[in-house]
Amino acid sequence: MSGAALGQWRGSRALRIGGCVVAAIIALAVISPWFAPYSAVAFDVRLRFAPPSAAHFFGTDEFGRDVFSRVLVGARYSLAMGFGAMAISVIAGVPLGLLAAFHRGFAEAAIMRAVDLLISLPPILLGLLILAVTPPNLWKTIVAVGIVYIPILTRLTRSVALGLLEEDFVQAARARGEGAVSILAREILPNAWPPIIVESGLRVTFAILLGSSLSFLGLGPQPPSSEWGLMIAESRQFIDRAPWMGLAPGLSLCALLIAVNLFGEGLRERLDPRLSGRGRA
Amino acid sequence: MAGFVVRRLLAVVGVLLAMSVLIFAIVHILPGNVAYAILGEYATPGAVAALEAKLGLNEPLSVQYWHWLAQMLHGNLGQSLSMDRPAAPLIAGALGRSAILAGMSFALVVVLGIGGGVYGATHKGRVSDRTLAFVQFLFIAVPDFFWAILAILFFAAWLHWLPATGYESIAEAGVGGWLAHLLLPVAVLTLGLTAHVSRLARSSMLEVLESRYILAARAKGLPERLVLYRHALRNALPPAITVLAIDAGILMGGIVVIETVFAYPGLGRLLVYAIEQRDLPLLQAGMMVVTAIYAIANLLADFSYALLNPRLRHGRSIR
Amino acid sequence: MPETDLEVAERAPGAGGSSPALRIEDLSVSYATIRGRVRALDHVSLAIPRGQVLGLVGESGSGKSTVVLALLGLLDEAAEVTATALEFEGHDLLGDPVTPRGRRIGTVFQDPSSILNPALPVGLQVAEPLLVHRRMGRAEAFERAKELLAQMGIPRPGAVMRAYPHQLSGGMKQRALIAQALATEPDLLLLDEPTTALDVTVEAQILDLLDGLRAERGLTMLLVSHNLGIVDRICDRVCVLYAGRTLESGPTSALLQAPRHPYTRGLLGALPRPDRLEAAPLVPIPGNLPDLTNPDPGCNFRPRCPFAEQGCAEPQFLSEILPGHWVRCHRVGIVETLPWPLPEPVARAGGGTPERHRERLVEAAEMQRAFRSGGTFARLLGTESVTRAVDGVSLAIGRGESVGLVGESGCGKSTLGRLLLRLLPAESGSLRFAGEAVPEHPAAEFRRRAQIVFQNPDTALNPRQTVAAILSRPLHRFALAEGPEVVREVERLLDLVRLPHAFRSRYPHQLSGGEKQRVGIARALATRPDFVIADEAVSALDVSVQAAVLNLLADLRARLGVAYLFISHDIGVIAHIAERVVVMYRGRLMEEGRTAQVLHPPYHPYTEALLSAVPVVGARERSASRIRLAGDASSAVSAAGCPFAARCPRRIGPLCDTVPPPWQVAAEGHRIACHIPLPTLAAMPPALGG
Repeated sequence: MSGAALGQWRGSRALRIGGCVVAAIIALAVISPWFAPYSAVAFDVRLRFAPPSAAHFFGTDEFGRDVFSRVLVGARYSLAMGFGAMAISVIAGVPLGLLAAFHRGFAEAAIMRAVDLLISLPPILLGLLILAVTPPNLWKTIVAVGIVYIPILTRLTRSVALGLLEEDFVQAARARGEGAVSILAREILPNAWPPIIVESGLRVTFAILLGSSLSFLGLGPQPPSSEWGLMIAESRQFIDRAPWMGLAPGLSLCALLIAVNLFGEGLRERLDPRLSGRGRA
Repeated sequence: MAGFVVRRLLAVVGVLLAMSVLIFAIVHILPGNVAYAILGEYATPGAVAALEAKLGLNEPLSVQYWHWLAQMLHGNLGQSLSMDRPAAPLIAGALGRSAILAGMSFALVVVLGIGGGVYGATHKGRVSDRTLAFVQFLFIAVPDFFWAILAILFFAAWLHWLPATGYESIAEAGVGGWLAHLLLPVAVLTLGLTAHVSRLARSSMLEVLESRYILAARAKGLPERLVLYRHALRNALPPAITVLAIDAGILMGGIVVIETVFAYPGLGRLLVYAIEQRDLPLLQAGMMVVTAIYAIANLLADFSYALLNPRLRHGRSIR
Repeated sequence: MPETDLEVAERAPGAGGSSPALRIEDLSVSYATIRGRVRALDHVSLAIPRGQVLGLVGESGSGKSTVVLALLGLLDEAAEVTATALEFEGHDLLGDPVTPRGRRIGTVFQDPSSILNPALPVGLQVAEPLLVHRRMGRAEAFERAKELLAQMGIPRPGAVMRAYPHQLSGGMKQRALIAQALATEPDLLLLDEPTTALDVTVEAQILDLLDGLRAERGLTMLLVSHNLGIVDRICDRVCVLYAGRTLESGPTSALLQAPRHPYTRGLLGALPRPDRLEAAPLVPIPGNLPDLTNPDPGCNFRPRCPFAEQGCAEPQFLSEILPGHWVRCHRVGIVETLPWPLPEPVARAGGGTPERHRERLVEAAEMQRAFRSGGTFARLLGTESVTRAVDGVSLAIGRGESVGLVGESGCGKSTLGRLLLRLLPAESGSLRFAGEAVPEHPAAEFRRRAQIVFQNPDTALNPRQTVAAILSRPLHRFALAEGPEVVREVERLLDLVRLPHAFRSRYPHQLSGGEKQRVGIARALATRPDFVIADEAVSALDVSVQAAVLNLLADLRARLGVAYLFISHDIGVIAHIAERVVVMYRGRLMEEGRTAQVLHPPYHPYTEALLSAVPVVGARERSASRIRLAGDASSAVSAAGCPFAARCPRRIGPLCDTVPPPWQVAAEGHRIACHIPLPTLAAMPPALGG
C-alpha cells in the first residue's frame, strides 16, 4: 500500500474511532440527567471519601457526592466549551478574514492590527485578562475562549482567501465582471472550507483544553458545578486520601480530548489536499 | 536587514502601547465598578468613595491612563492593594523564579523537540517513529494540569521521592533541594511542548527532505550525514523557530497553570493571586510585564529567523 | 534484416564496436500506487560510446527522468528496479550506485532554482564535491571552484562564490550547477532537461557551453529533454521514449530528418516551427498517454497511431532497419511510405479580410504600469524598488485579427494582457474597445466581449465545479441562455472545443491537461467574445497535445471571427498562430509587424537574438551566424535610452544609452524601435537560415 493510500486509510480510521467516541460522549452528556445514578450536587455526609465500588463506580468526594454522576453531568461543560468557543471563533473569525482579504486597505489594516494585538498575549493570559474583572461563569469562559481563537481563524481564512484570489479561475471570474458576492460564494468558499473545517476541528480540542485550564484556575463555572477542570482543582487537597476524585474527571477529560483530537487528525488527513493524492478518476 | 530590525522594533513598541490601552480598558471599563470589584458587593458607599479617591478613580479615564503609563515608563509599576507594597519588587522576585522554570523548560524543549523531530523524520515509518508519534499524541492531547496531578500523585504522594509543591532557594536548601522542587514542574512543562515542537520539526524536515535540492545533494554523492545536517536541517530550522515562538507563548500560559498546581511562587501564581484577591493594580502591572516578555521573545524569534534566512540577510542580486 | 529475431532485436541498440561508457540493458522500473502498479520503464536498453552524447527524448510520462534517477540509484524506495545490465565503465550501478555518484558521474537537473540549496552559499555548493570526494582543503577547493565558475563564463566568480542562490539569475544558477557537476572531472554527465526553466536566449548560452564542454573535454553525456531542437543541437544519437518504452533510436540527423516510427513522425509534425511558416498546419497526435498501470502487451502507441491494424496488438520488437537505426514497429517498411492523415480540415490562420480593411477592435495608447516592492517603510527610506512592467505601450488589434506578443519572462507581456482586459488598473494610458473608451471599471458588455485563456490548466478551472457549472456560469451571468437552452449551449461549447458531451458532469481533476485547456477555451468562448487573450495558453502542454489546441484556436478564429492576443515566450508557437507579431522587452515594444516581416530582416537586434536562440530541428548549420546575448532580461537597464542597449550585440554607441530609440517604419505595418538605420538592419543575415 502506498503512502497516500495508507494515509487515507489511517485518516478514515482515526475519523471513525474519534467520531464514535465523541458521539458517545455527547450522547452520555445529553442523557446524563436521567441516566446518572445519583444527583451531581446532593451531599451525603455519611459517605464522604468512599472509594470506588459497585454502588459508586468512581467513589465519592468530600461531601459524599457520587463522582461518577458528577463526571457524567460534567461532560456537558467541556463539550459546551469546546464546541461553543469554536463556533464563536468561526462565526466571528471567518467573516473577518474574508473581509480582510477582499478589502485590501483600511478594513484589512484595522482587522489585521487587531489580530496582531490579540495574539500578542499568550492564550491563557488573554483568557485570564478577559475573565479577571467580572465574576466568572460558564458562558463568560466560553466567550473568552472563543475570543482568544478568533485571530487564528481570521488569519487562516485571510491567507486561504488571498491565495485563492490569485488563482486563475478567480481571475476568470473577474474577467466576467463577477461581483464580490458571486466570487465569494462560487469561487472562494467552496475551495476555502476544507482548511477552515480542519482548523475548526483542531480548535475544539484547544478550546476544551483552554476552557478546562481556566476553570482549573477558578475562572470557569463555580462550585458546586461539576466541570472537570474545577473537579480536578478541588481534588488537589485530597490527593492522598481520595485520588479517584481527581483521576475520574482527569481520565474522562483525557478520553474526550484524545477522541476529539483523533477526529480532527482524521479530518485533516481526509481534507488536506497536500496529504490526499488527487489522482485521475 | 537594518530596515527589518527597525521595523520590528517599532512594531513591538506599537503592540506594547496598544496592549497597555487594552489592559487598562478591560480593567476599568468592563461592567463592574472597580472599587466594588475590590471591596465586594456589600461595601458601604463611604468605603467605596474612600477607595476611589485613593486609587485616583475620580479623575477622567484618559487622565488615569496617562498617569499610569507615565508611572510605568519611570519604572513605577504601581502599588499592590492586597499586600500594600510596591508591585515592582514583587513582580521582579516572582519573575526571577518563573524565569528559572521557563528557561530550563524552554532549553529542554528546543533540544529535545528538534532532536526528536529530526529522529522521527529520518526514521519515518519505523516502529520507533510510530511509538514516538503515539507518545507525542498523548502528551499533546492531555492537559498539563492533569499530568501535574498525576506526577504529584506518583512521585510525591505514593513514592515520596520528590516534594509535591513549593519552592526553596539555593541559599535555603542547597542545590539538591532547589532542584528537587524544580524537577516535576519542569518535566510537566517540557513534555507537552516537546511533543508539539518535535511533531512540527518532523514534518518540516520531511518536507525539506522531499525537495529537489536534497535530491541534488545526494546526486553529488554527499554522505547522508552532510545531506541531513548541512543541507536539510538548515532549511528545516526556520519553520521550527516560528513554532518555538508560538510555543514560548504556550509555555508562558502553561507556567500560570503549573505554578498554581505546584504552588510555585512565580509570576503566573502572582497573577492568579492578583485575580483572586482582586488586586487590580498588581494585575495590570503583571500583565504588562508578561506582554513585554512575550513581545521580546517574538522579536528574538524573528531575528533568528532572519539570520537563518539568506533572503533577508543578503537582498541584493548579483549581475 | 531479422525483424523478429529476439536475440538480435533486444541487443542494446547504439553500441558501437568498442565497449560503451554507459550500458543499460532491459531496465524496468515500476511503482506501487493506489491505482495499481505503474510501469514507468519497460525493458529500456541504450548505450553511449565514450565521448558521445545521447539524447533521450520523450513527452511527460515517458519515463525519461526515471532513467537518470535509476542510474543514480535515487529512485523512490517504493520503486522496483530490474535490469540485466546497468553498467558505467564496467562498474555495476545496480549493485552500487553510490561510489561513482558525484565522483565519476556528474548530474545537472532541470530548474536550477529548486536544485541549489537556498540556505547555503553558492561557493560552498560548488566546492562541496571537491571537499568530500577529493578531500581538498577548504582554501584549495574554493580556489578551484572559483576557477570552474570562471570557466563556465560567470563574469564575477568571486562575488558569485559568496552569493546565495536567490541573488543569481536562472542562467547563472545553471552555470554554477554545471560547474559543480564538473568539479570532480567526471567521465559521464547526466543532463536532465538542463535548459527547460530558462529563457530562450539563456538556453542558447547554456547549450553553447555544453557544446563547448563536449568538444574540449570529450565528455560522455546523456541529455534528457522534451525539446527536439535541443537534442538536434548537441546530440550524436537520439533515443525516443514513449510511455516507458523505446520506440526508435538512431543517429540524430537520420532520425530527425527521416523519422520512421509513427510516433516520432507525429512528434515532428506537431512541432510548430518558426522557419516553416508556409508549411501545412500542425499535425496533432490524437488521444492521451496510455495507462501505465496496464501496459499494452502489443504496441503501446497503437491507440493513437493512424496506421494501427490488428497485428499491432502483438508484442513489438526493436529492429535495425538501417545500420544503428532501430525502430519498434513491425509495419515500419509500409508505414513510412503512407502519408500522415489529417484528422479534420483546419482553417488556415491568415485567411479572411485583409488587415488594412479591418476595423480596429482594441486600441491601447501609452499604457503604463509599475510594480513597487517594499512597504511603506521602504518608501520612506527611499529603498523601495520600482519595476516598470509596462512602460508606455501602444497597441492596436483589428477585428478578427490574431496578434502574437512575444518576449522573455519578466518582459511585462502578461501584465500588458491584464491591462488590456482591465484586470489590473493602469497608471496611465487609455484603452478603447470597438471605438468606445473603456473606463477603469468596465461595463458588463466589455467583460462579455473580452475574455482570457490562462496558461496553467491546473489552476484555470475551479476544482469544485463540474464542467457544466463552469461553462454555464458565463451564460447565466450575461443572460445568454435560459432553462433548457443552457444545456444545449453547454453542449454546443463542448462540440466547439471537440470534447464529448459526457464531460459535462466531470470535475477538473478528472481531465487531462489538454482537456482542461479545452474547457478553459470553451469558458472564454461561452460569452461569445470578440477578443480573447491567450496567455501562454499552450506552454504547459506536451507538443502532441499543444498542436491540437493550437489548431483548435486557429480554427475557432476562422469560424467565429474572434480576435486573439496570443502571449507566448515560444516564437515557434507565435509564428504559427499569429498574423501579426509584437516583440516586447522590459516593458516596451521593440518591433511590430506582420509575422513574415518580423521573422526576416530587417528586424530589431533583439528579435534577431531571439530568433537565432531558438533551437530549431534540422538547423545545426546555423551556428555560424548565431547571435548570442550576454546576461538575461533582468540585466541592468538604462532609464533614458533603449532598454535593450545593455545587452545589444549591435549597440552603436552612447546614443543607445541616452536617447530613446525612434520608431522606424520598414514597410507598411512594420515598425522597429532602433537607432540603427534601416538599410543596416535589412542587411543582417537571416537568423532562421534560408
